[in-house]
Amino acid sequence: MTITVMRRAPRNHAPQKLKKLSLRKYSARVGFLLILPWILGFALLKAFPILAALWYSFTNFHMLQPDQIQFIGLQNYLAFFNDPRAINSLIRSLNYFITTVPIEMIAALLLAAVFASERLRAKRILRTLFFMPSIIPAVAISIIVSGLLNRDSGWINELILKPLNLQNSLGRNAFPIVLALWTIGPGFLIMLSAMLNVPREIYEAARVDGAGPLATFVLITLPMISPAVFFSLVINMISSFGGVALLDRGLPYSRSLSPMETYISNQLFSGSYNLGYASALAWVMFIVVMLITLVLFFSTRFWVHFPEEDDNEEI
Amino acid sequence: MKRSELSRRVRPRDTSTLSLRLWEFTGNALLNLFIWITLVVYLFPLSYMLITSLKTSAQMRDSKSPIWPAHAATYNYNGRSLEIYKVPTSSGERHWALEEPHIKYSMFVDPQNPGLGPILWNGYWGSLTLVYLPSVTLENFVTLWQTFNYPNLLRNTLVVIGLGEIGVLFSSIMVAYGFARFRIPGGKFLFFLLIGTIMIPDSITLVPSFVFYGRVLNWTGTFYPLIVPQFFGSAIYIFLLRQNFKTIPRDLDEAAMLDGAGPLRTLVSVILPQSIPTVVTVALLHFFNAWNELKMASLYLGVRPDLQTIAFSTQTTQSIGSTTEGLQAAALLLMVIPLVVLFLSQRFFMQDMVIASVEK
Repeated sequence: MTITVMRRAPRNHAPQKLKKLSLRKYSARVGFLLILPWILGFALLKAFPILAALWYSFTNFHMLQPDQIQFIGLQNYLAFFNDPRAINSLIRSLNYFITTVPIEMIAALLLAAVFASERLRAKRILRTLFFMPSIIPAVAISIIVSGLLNRDSGWINELILKPLNLQNSLGRNAFPIVLALWTIGPGFLIMLSAMLNVPREIYEAARVDGAGPLATFVLITLPMISPAVFFSLVINMISSFGGVALLDRGLPYSRSLSPMETYISNQLFSGSYNLGYASALAWVMFIVVMLITLVLFFSTRFWVHFPEEDDNEEI
Repeated sequence: MKRSELSRRVRPRDTSTLSLRLWEFTGNALLNLFIWITLVVYLFPLSYMLITSLKTSAQMRDSKSPIWPAHAATYNYNGRSLEIYKVPTSSGERHWALEEPHIKYSMFVDPQNPGLGPILWNGYWGSLTLVYLPSVTLENFVTLWQTFNYPNLLRNTLVVIGLGEIGVLFSSIMVAYGFARFRIPGGKFLFFLLIGTIMIPDSITLVPSFVFYGRVLNWTGTFYPLIVPQFFGSAIYIFLLRQNFKTIPRDLDEAAMLDGAGPLRTLVSVILPQSIPTVVTVALLHFFNAWNELKMASLYLGVRPDLQTIAFSTQTTQSIGSTTEGLQAAALLLMVIPLVVLFLSQRFFMQDMVIASVEK
């Protein structure tokens, strides 16, 4: 069973009377028409800002002095390697991806598995309540975390640590963990909907063959939902570096939950307004994220399962 | 093996023995109990928001006040409002009103027995603790309701979300279907380009997009910059839908094609019915994103207070220093509560829809 990400060959997508060559043309034409909205949107709305950002990264564009813009070649990119704070923010983003994203994904997966069970009651209300923290604006979370963990008047301090005479060592370090656990909503929803999409007959067949719940989960559910898991992984990775997040926490431009994006925004908004350097940093980040994405896409052939690939195997 | 046999759903025929049913019942009860306990722990921090929103600004400034909404108890004595303290005496702790504070001793009045007159108590009054009475205030919510035009904010938010939802669902489904099922020349490259657009932070493209929307199209002060881009599809949802469409066996759409269905017909009658949970997920994600969306709203609607969305108004209450934490918490609650109500009240969400489509 070999698995590839991209489709290898088209199958009959046109009326059978068409010949093979025109079949390919037909598929290409219909496919192109279908993706046309995105291509138009990309060309009209995305391409210009992105190309402009690329051009800025080679200039000394300060937002306060737009008339003094000069082409300075690769200087912004070289400056990145001499900027310990920029490198540090990149490492912290990488660290966030390696440590926090797995916690988030495993929690989401386990919760989805429980919700896919027929034994759970009152699912609608439970689903809502578990999802709720994921839509809370980030400002609210920072108020809550400081309210709970404040060294003097925090709730955890008052209710648990003071009576037990313990020192408060949690501090604001708990913020990323609370945030990660409170962000499982979208991942949970995506994995749950993937689990619900698995045809019932497969489970029936497994039951007839005598597979227990654990074997069913590991051997059937996990491979069947692997595309959704892969999607979650890629999106979580991208948002830990500051790309688009699946759920917008409603932050203003100047603040972000990703260390890397925070640093880029600092360059852009606080004090320096150095759009040139900020753009260069964004492109460095883009290259790092793209490399990780390529590695992840390459890895899919080992663990992501698409049923159609099996079809191709049969041919 | 034995446990797994017991724990799975047993057919009515097999449930003749009582112990089997008892096993099943206990297992189900434990699972449900476990989930509810997890939920309580998971949501516990949220109670901080709720309780803070019910506190007065006076209590927020009082660092000695308890964590529940309360006010300091007072007693009216000879026309003066006196604070009540917990006073340790030889006959146990008494709640007395402080009449005359001194360093070495103080004079107290017993509110239960004011006829006794001032009582002398030896000790420093500053070491005593105040008596607080629980009291809930809605002053934060009233202030917010008077400051912001909530019906108008809600209407604006729903207009932006509603139109955007139609656009983003329609176009993202089409594009995802194109990427998932058709061999497009350069399709692989285009798909990576699509993923690439997700990776570029918004703040970088902010200036050029503002020039485009604001100066070229002159859309500042309108809903257009928030709605029109949705009609060109959202890369992240296209990616999600494509992943889902690819899990649907091709035999099904081939059968439809053989029956003479065109690509759109196949999408509507074969692919979409199989993908309802994912489509609903996309719709919900867009809803929540648009509800919380702040960057575009503050950039393009900042000049038109009458067009502001709920996230934008909530943001204005969050600048630390100018408002109390109670007011901030109340504003955030007013933003979250409509979502929860909507989420709970809608009947066709996920599993319900799946069952409906299977039964059909």
